[in-house]
Amino acid sequence: MAVPTHRPVGKDVFFMMTCLCDAFYADVARAAVEILEHAGCRVHVPEDQTCCGQPPFNGGDFKTSREIARHTAKVFAGDWPIIVPSGSCAAMHFHGNSLQFEDESDREEMTALGNRTWELFDFLVHGLGLTKWEGKLEKRVAIHHACHTRGTKTGEAIKTLLGSVDGLELLDFGQGEQCCGFGGTFSVTFPTISAGMGTLKLDHVLAQQPDILVSADMSCLMHLSGLAEKQQRPILHQHAVQLLRAAMPSV
Amino acid sequence: MSQPVDTFAKQLKPATREAVIKSAALTTGQRVDILSRDFEDPDALRRLAGQIKQHTLENLDQYLEQTEASLTKAGAHVHFASDVASAREIILGILQEHEVKTVVKSKSMATEEIHLNPFLGQNGIESIETDLGEFIIQIDDDTPSHIVRPIIHKRREEVAESFEREGLGDYNTDPETITRRARVHLRSKYMNSGAGITGANFLSAESGRMVLVTNEGNARFSMAPNKVHIAVTGIEKIIPKDRDLSVFLNLLARSATAQQITVYTQFINGPRPADKPSGPEHMHVVLLDNGRSDVLASKCREILRCIRCGACQNVCPVYRQASGHGYRAVYGGPIGAVLSPLLAGKESFGKFADLPKASSLCGACREVCPVDIPIPDLLLRHRERAKSEGIPSPGSPPMEPFGSLATSPALWKTSMRASKALNHLPLGLMPIKPLQDWLAVRTLPKWQGGDFRAWLKKRGKEAGDVE
Amino acid sequence: MSSDREQILTRVRDAVKTIESRTPYPDYPDDVAVAMNRLSGPSLWDNFAKNFAAVNGRPMTAHDELTTFLQEQEVDTGYCDPDLYEAFGKPLEALGLAIHKTYDRSDYDRYQFGITRASGAIAETGTVVLTDSETSDRLGALTPWIHIAVLKPSRLVRSIGDAIGTFGGESNIIWATGPSKTADIEGILIEGVHGPGEQICFFDESG
Repeated sequence: MAVPTHRPVGKDVFFMMTCLCDAFYADVARAAVEILEHAGCRVHVPEDQTCCGQPPFNGGDFKTSREIARHTAKVFAGDWPIIVPSGSCAAMHFHGNSLQFEDESDREEMTALGNRTWELFDFLVHGLGLTKWEGKLEKRVAIHHACHTRGTKTGEAIKTLLGSVDGLELLDFGQGEQCCGFGGTFSVTFPTISAGMGTLKLDHVLAQQPDILVSADMSCLMHLSGLAEKQQRPILHQHAVQLLRAAMPSV
Repeated sequence: MSQPVDTFAKQLKPATREAVIKSAALTTGQRVDILSRDFEDPDALRRLAGQIKQHTLENLDQYLEQTEASLTKAGAHVHFASDVASAREIILGILQEHEVKTVVKSKSMATEEIHLNPFLGQNGIESIETDLGEFIIQIDDDTPSHIVRPIIHKRREEVAESFEREGLGDYNTDPETITRRARVHLRSKYMNSGAGITGANFLSAESGRMVLVTNEGNARFSMAPNKVHIAVTGIEKIIPKDRDLSVFLNLLARSATAQQITVYTQFINGPRPADKPSGPEHMHVVLLDNGRSDVLASKCREILRCIRCGACQNVCPVYRQASGHGYRAVYGGPIGAVLSPLLAGKESFGKFADLPKASSLCGACREVCPVDIPIPDLLLRHRERAKSEGIPSPGSPPMEPFGSLATSPALWKTSMRASKALNHLPLGLMPIKPLQDWLAVRTLPKWQGGDFRAWLKKRGKEAGDVE
Repeated sequence: MSSDREQILTRVRDAVKTIESRTPYPDYPDDVAVAMNRLSGPSLWDNFAKNFAAVNGRPMTAHDELTTFLQEQEVDTGYCDPDLYEAFGKPLEALGLAIHKTYDRSDYDRYQFGITRASGAIAETGTVVLTDSETSDRLGALTPWIHIAVLKPSRLVRSIGDAIGTFGGESNIIWATGPSKTADIEGILIEGVHGPGEQICFFDESG
């Protein structure tokens, strides 16, 4: 997957909350805004934003997805970089859209949208140049790398920032490259396989006895934590940005 | 109504699933080890191989003609087969011309596609699989569940039972004993066969050399004691030059079995020299289309780069849960999910349209593919095609309502706030299928619709700038 | 009614006609994929021997190595390329082994070892190269449990790419990298399947 090169960086940034955080994870969006501001950004959150269009896209309904993507492009019109606390939404912008708009007349505009989009940690480390996070947090942390961050620098960025926190221990666990099993509607269309995949992942993660499981994508965590809770072995889970906030001496 | 692949996974024996996961995970890890040991930038090599293949496919008409000329010059007979029926007729014709009664077969997915063995059997010709795994599949009347490791789903106890049943010795689960018995049994078959049939891993347009990659020695043995050699291969196996083989051979075994190179790599472009005592006097190469030219014309043509290494199957988490048989066709796993709907032909796309959905689009396959095939993109193209052709998909919620919501900000924001009411309702009792499917195995977090936006608004009133 | 050939070529031509920008044949160096870490020894033979042994091949340089091995294996009958009879067959006969210079198909299981020429070898992988023109009998190199490939030092090359460069007009080339094997049953490695269970490469520095 080709991540755009030469994406814009600047003090003014757009923030895309993602439909998932809009519905279920308000604190993740809060933490992301706070961290961006702490890093010196002026964060603009367009009111009319809704979704990147991934759910219908994954189901093959490119027509519906394009309509949503066009709305998003309108809402985020301008030159500012678009920061999103989700590897999969970012990938939708710079990869998914390139597929579904390849024969469309507004292909150029949608490409431009992708060329301004950064996953949050990728932006913090490779956009703003932050490599050391001040603060302390004594925790054993397992990082689940969301599949849509494959081929991007997000995973490396999370490890860099979290790894730089005093007291934080990053854990390795078995079969780390394997998908958690969420996959959007896949989680309900293929329930046996999805649960099987998630259970395997949980087995490997829990074997390392982490204090907390983090990721750059809440979708994976929603699925894994939901499975864990149902299986009566609940796991503490947070978006990696919430951990950054927790490590800060005061925010 | 549920998805066939999911249903299959549900009733798969836990022991089988464990065997598949264990083997697949092991090879996946070993593949990474050997690639990083030997190459500074294995991904660059994969991309190079992908480029060579893509170039060949985009110019396949020229390379096909060049291959035909090279092979003919070297003394082999070249046949073109449009489809299954044509391929079978050609092969039968050659065998009948030489009065062959027994054929020894080396592993070939192309021959699986044309269901060659039963067809030959119906025509009075015994066709014996010689690759150990395929031999076991044959005596069990089973089908392979993995491109490279056909009996990844079987345990030694099952094999021992089969051997006893076939009169190859009393019940014995020792893998070495089983292998020795197969060796002894198949030797006489080789020596008394009239023809050997193989596939081909690559076909060099420059020299006509077909390349065969094996570990057991069965391909060598299929081409030493008998008179006729028939190679069946898809037209997409062609590569431009002999030198390109250094790229592909360095990637194939490492990707398939984490070996640097397989035990036997053979380069053949003609029958044996007249003055040699052993080897086939006649060499025939059957170039099979069987839907590949349609794939070449489509937007999924990258799948034709495939060199059948099986790395995508090994790494695929869905494959590990369902096993190869869950894919109902010759090719399983990620490559099967792309190829099967295509090779089925235009009218039968619907028969396999569910396979591309049996994926979380994780992209692990793309990362391991030695020819850099963008498999998840191809799966998405299939999904789009299925949607636009109106092929029903059990369990997939329609997305148009979501689309309406997501393009009406006012409605969206209202719905978000309203969703919080769901926190007070017995979700477990609501007749919304996706919700029920979710709750069957997972809990749902509390709805927080609108909370972040409310926080922003409040902040804005205090701090001023947040829009 | 057009033939299959015409149909296929037409369909393929039509299929690629619509492709706007074609992927060029990439430019790449001959040694783009050489595994340098496997060539770190002092000589080609050292590297070959190490890599060959790593896949359970047996590199040998002295005749007594060979005779000791064959005696340990308790063999009595073997096939030998007539051209190699003087140097290899005769000394073994002197030790009481039966040597056949013609391979008798009706009695294939009799041959416990076969001695034929190697046409080359590849140091990077530990591979012995066999060709039709220099192998006296395909069966003699294949059916016995033990195969001894006799290699002239000048035929040893460094890499896979180099070996491809020596193809010439050969119509049948076999690269043998150790003894035959399988891991089909539960992933357990077993050596000696249909091909030899012992693969020897004899480095023949004579003459």
